[in-house]
Amino acid sequence: MIDALRYEWTRITTLRSTWWISGMSVLVGAGFTFVVWMFLRLTSPGDIEGELVGDGARFYYNAAMTQFSNVDPMFYLVTYAVAILGILSWGHEYRHSMIRATLTTVPQRWTVWLAKYLVVGAWVSVVVVLTCVLSLVCAMLWFAGLDADFDAAYLLAALAKRVVYTVMVTWLVMSATVLIRHQTFALVLLYLWPLGVETLIRFMGLIVGAITGDSSPDGLRFMPFNAAGRLVQDVSITDPTGGIQDSLDLFGNPLSFWGAFLVFGLYTFVLMAASIVAFQKRDA
Amino acid sequence: MAVIQARGLAKAYGGKTAVGGLSFDVLPGTVTGFLGPNGAGKSTTMRLMLGLDRGQGTCTFDGKPFTDYHQPMRHVGAVLEAKPFHPTRTARNHLRMLAAPSGVPDHRVDEVLGLVGLGDVAGKAPSTFSLGMGQRLGLAAALLGNPHTLILDEPANGLDPQGIHWLRNLLRSLASEGRSVFVSSHLLSEMALMADHLVVIGRGHMIANGPIEDFTKQSTRNHVFVRTPQARELAALVGQRLAGEGSVQLASADVVTVVGLDAEAIGALAFDNGIRVHELSTRQATLEEAFLEMTGNMQEFQAVAPPPQGSPYGQQPPPPGPPPGSEQPPPPSSYGEQGPQDPNGGAR
Repeated sequence: MIDALRYEWTRITTLRSTWWISGMSVLVGAGFTFVVWMFLRLTSPGDIEGELVGDGARFYYNAAMTQFSNVDPMFYLVTYAVAILGILSWGHEYRHSMIRATLTTVPQRWTVWLAKYLVVGAWVSVVVVLTCVLSLVCAMLWFAGLDADFDAAYLLAALAKRVVYTVMVTWLVMSATVLIRHQTFALVLLYLWPLGVETLIRFMGLIVGAITGDSSPDGLRFMPFNAAGRLVQDVSITDPTGGIQDSLDLFGNPLSFWGAFLVFGLYTFVLMAASIVAFQKRDA
Repeated sequence: MAVIQARGLAKAYGGKTAVGGLSFDVLPGTVTGFLGPNGAGKSTTMRLMLGLDRGQGTCTFDGKPFTDYHQPMRHVGAVLEAKPFHPTRTARNHLRMLAAPSGVPDHRVDEVLGLVGLGDVAGKAPSTFSLGMGQRLGLAAALLGNPHTLILDEPANGLDPQGIHWLRNLLRSLASEGRSVFVSSHLLSEMALMADHLVVIGRGHMIANGPIEDFTKQSTRNHVFVRTPQARELAALVGQRLAGEGSVQLASADVVTVVGLDAEAIGALAFDNGIRVHELSTRQATLEEAFLEMTGNMQEFQAVAPPPQGSPYGQQPPPPGPPPGSEQPPPPSSYGEQGPQDPNGGAR
């Protein structure tokens, strides 16, 4: 296993695309926070002022640190950038015929498979942590002068949720890449499915709900990326209370964190299991 | 002890046999050439040997399957693709990556890059490498762990004449150190100079397996050419002597070709019977001739001969063959089988 980890570590660190994607993710994430909060503080100083306490303070700090990904239906931008590394980790194997060189270097397939998931998972986790910390620093520059409560435990949990979310999304798209063995198609899928297909279905659900006078169909919350979003979202634009949703039913509507973890985790687990079986059985 | 032992290697794609139960040994200290027409199953066989393709049969390297090796790079080096690398990862980093699991130090990376002549471009991305440079990088990867066995699929593809010469010397030198080298190639003239043993397959099945001399000896194009004014007499005498163990052909009024009897024996026979001989020579089949003869009906993909100049498409070209009156070798026969023979012992 150590051999496979060494291989994967050297593989990921000797690719320029790894550094570009990681660096750009950190810069764009933190830069987004810097620019947005600069804009808010300079153009609308009256909107956020005085004393910020409780949910208000938590919301603003979380939104600043995670580029508003705490708001349903927003997505966490950094995840969709660094998940590309997961696609490339398998995509390069097939696109550049590296898989045979890889397996003649480390012939135990399950170790190759596991090493990729561990190394890429660790790498994207570090990128997320760096982005969050840098974003928080940027936000605090513009929060200077505000009397805002700093709930470190809440923010730490928010950061941990981004790590879990990003690792799970990355592992899911890695598994899809193993199964389809086509890098470009996997990249298209990464964006088209959550941002296109699921958003469209959700939008259609809203239309149906508006026509019939009911709320949108309950089952939509179990769609993979809608469920995944609930791993990081704790505020909803459709929630009339506007507060932080911290006491939700496990599989209620919307899903709680643990409900989302179980639902999206199941999707991820199924795809990962299918990918290891396919990788073991197929010709290289 | 055989370093590589392949037993019953088999693979089918959608019911069509790609490799049909191949068994052979590759001995240490030899270069074993792996020949076959396009689509014969050479690359598939090599992938089966390394556990890359899923199929039937076993292949062991010093008694162990490849997939059971910890740090296999130190035991078996392989080149299976012409350009198996990421285009923007430098040549040195590519080798560092491959070396990392086996704990091969960085100085060995520079050493093999120098050995294959890529020392000057070690820091460059291989996206601009030619096919030959890509092959050299692949060879460098195979040599990284200083393995006792090499499996190389078409390593000479894309190499210039100097590169091919270098490759031949390198593989001969590695074999002379006691390593086992198993190499496939379409360059038959190179294989003739490089290989000690041959494994020849066609449509996934074994055609020949043994020393290269034995393979070329099987060719019916090996014959003794005799020019004599008493051709008919000599043909009859040779036919009696052969007694079904070869063939004799009266190619023209004064030319006899013989398979199955060497020039010395024919010369002595002619001398003893007072036959005047004007020319007596042995013609040895080349590896290419032997290969084409053996695999002639084993091609997966057969090109259509172009129509003769001036003829409309669709018209059949005349059957190939030597012009009338020219020397014609004996008809093909399989090694070990009796050649065509006049039942009366006379010339055909």
